[in-house]
Amino acid sequence: MNRKIANIICFGLPLPMLVISLFIGSSAQVNVFDYLPLLYKKLADGIMNVDEAAQYEMISNILFNVRMPRILLTFLVGAALSTSGGVLQGIFRNPLVDSYILGISSGAAFGASLAIVYSLSFVNVYAFVGGSIAVVLTYMIAGSHKQISTVSIILSGMIISGVFMALLTMVQYISNPYKLQAIVQWAMGNLHAASWIELKQAFLPILICLIIVFVYRWRINLLALGDDAAKSVGVNPAFDKLILIICATLMTTTTVAVAGIISFYGLFLPHIVRMLLGSDNSKSIPGNIFLGGSFLLLIDNLSRALFVFEVPIGIFTTILGGAFFVFLMRKNKLNWN
Amino acid sequence: MITEAIHIEDLHYAYGDKPVLNGVNAIFPENKFSVLLGINGGGKSTLFKIIAGLLKGDQGSIRICGQEIDKLRFKDRASLIGFLPQFTQSVFSFTVEEILLTGRTAFSGFAPKKEDRLLVDKILKDLSITRLKDKPFTQLSGGEQQIVMIGRLLMQKPKILLLDEPTNHLDVYYQHYLMEKLKDYSENDFTVIAIMHNPTLAFQYADHFCYLHHGNIYTPSNPKEPNVELLEKVYSMSFVEFMREGKKFMLPFGEIH
Repeated sequence: MNRKIANIICFGLPLPMLVISLFIGSSAQVNVFDYLPLLYKKLADGIMNVDEAAQYEMISNILFNVRMPRILLTFLVGAALSTSGGVLQGIFRNPLVDSYILGISSGAAFGASLAIVYSLSFVNVYAFVGGSIAVVLTYMIAGSHKQISTVSIILSGMIISGVFMALLTMVQYISNPYKLQAIVQWAMGNLHAASWIELKQAFLPILICLIIVFVYRWRINLLALGDDAAKSVGVNPAFDKLILIICATLMTTTTVAVAGIISFYGLFLPHIVRMLLGSDNSKSIPGNIFLGGSFLLLIDNLSRALFVFEVPIGIFTTILGGAFFVFLMRKNKLNWN
Repeated sequence: MITEAIHIEDLHYAYGDKPVLNGVNAIFPENKFSVLLGINGGGKSTLFKIIAGLLKGDQGSIRICGQEIDKLRFKDRASLIGFLPQFTQSVFSFTVEEILLTGRTAFSGFAPKKEDRLLVDKILKDLSITRLKDKPFTQLSGGEQQIVMIGRLLMQKPKILLLDEPTNHLDVYYQHYLMEKLKDYSENDFTVIAIMHNPTLAFQYADHFCYLHHGNIYTPSNPKEPNVELLEKVYSMSFVEFMREGKKFMLPFGEIH
């Protein structure tokens, strides 16, 4: 594909996408053609009649207190998921993994659900602990000292993911009906409750991790060639891998704490970015950050605009991602022996 | 006096309770093309991995250019030794240039420098594979991949090239092309040490031979010349030696002991 077009899609799309998304939603009153004249009036001469002022007030409220935090959160969540997917695929040398398949999301969801049921503060922290336990277990089951095969890491991830999903269901089972609804809604992967509060919780850990991964991006190329290839050129891969796995885990668990499980997104987005920009992580990591953000925004816009009711975004990405996973499995001709 | 590139003393290594190296003593001289011969599963690759720092010996000492291996940092070792492992696969379709640049990771930190990119061009030209620069590594033939991986070693600018079966996957032309190249390197300030599975080929180019047999290294008193007795002992089969155009050749001769 043409490099120029690929770059525009990855790096030119985000800004217009953010602006357009402001004007998509269920509230019929908010319309760009109503808002702009009002805004112009306000800025140009500051004179408005009472009706106009009220309308302006309401539209501003919807735009900046309802939609803006949601849009920013969606972008951040998308960037976090696809970047952690890209990182994990690189360091596990496996095009079929992401934080959901390695069990991180389910572990985080279990941790967060406990925190919600027992009304503990710092849901973030519990999600991170749950996700970290899951990724460590997955790694241990797959066999950490030998070269980990593509299939064994997926199988052990699936097992861990299944166990934590069962634990999550158990938490739902014992919790009271009032909280149950909240947990079920949240676990499905949902962004509709996003407010400035959620954004404040999420943006710092995600931003810090994105910056660290961005700095490390070129080194992921070497890690993707394997431990021996790294050691033989004088790099101890253990340290780099530890930093990057912590970042991927923290980013994912933060998204789970605020938006629930959005599965498979981290699996397919890095592949799309690789098709557009190539495998070099110097380019694909920034691609994951920006296209990852704007593509999830696109999916979220569709989930708001296509139907009368809002489809939880986690369901949307699972359907898209499931099909893509099958496609990848066939393309990679997995050796099941 | 010959200067030593690598000096191994009483090296032991075992996989679990299965000993592979039992007190290996060997010297690889500087600026020579050394070849280590021995049967499959005899511990040659293990020895190389220990020298390259991928494994740690159970007992004994190794000195690289006079420095104790345990005291070298990863990065310092990388500027002394470039190691070509037996297998390198890439899951992702990195281009040849990107693969070569990974050789500079220990030195260039978080992004390749401009010099690194110039070095890529120089090495590609030197190995006459400039045409492969932007090709995906995964789509190259086995032989081309091997040459690219050797280029990646040169990116480290090491003093010693440690190669585990460098002629693997190569056709006859490229085998000789590469051996000629390695000989060239050994005459130009590199020390080349290789594991080989083809004594006939090795004896045409290399100038120092040693033999790994039952967990020990045997260096004949004249390490330059083929040693039929040792070859037959190591490989349990007959070899013939013959002269053609003033050169000595060595052929395995079918008779299995």
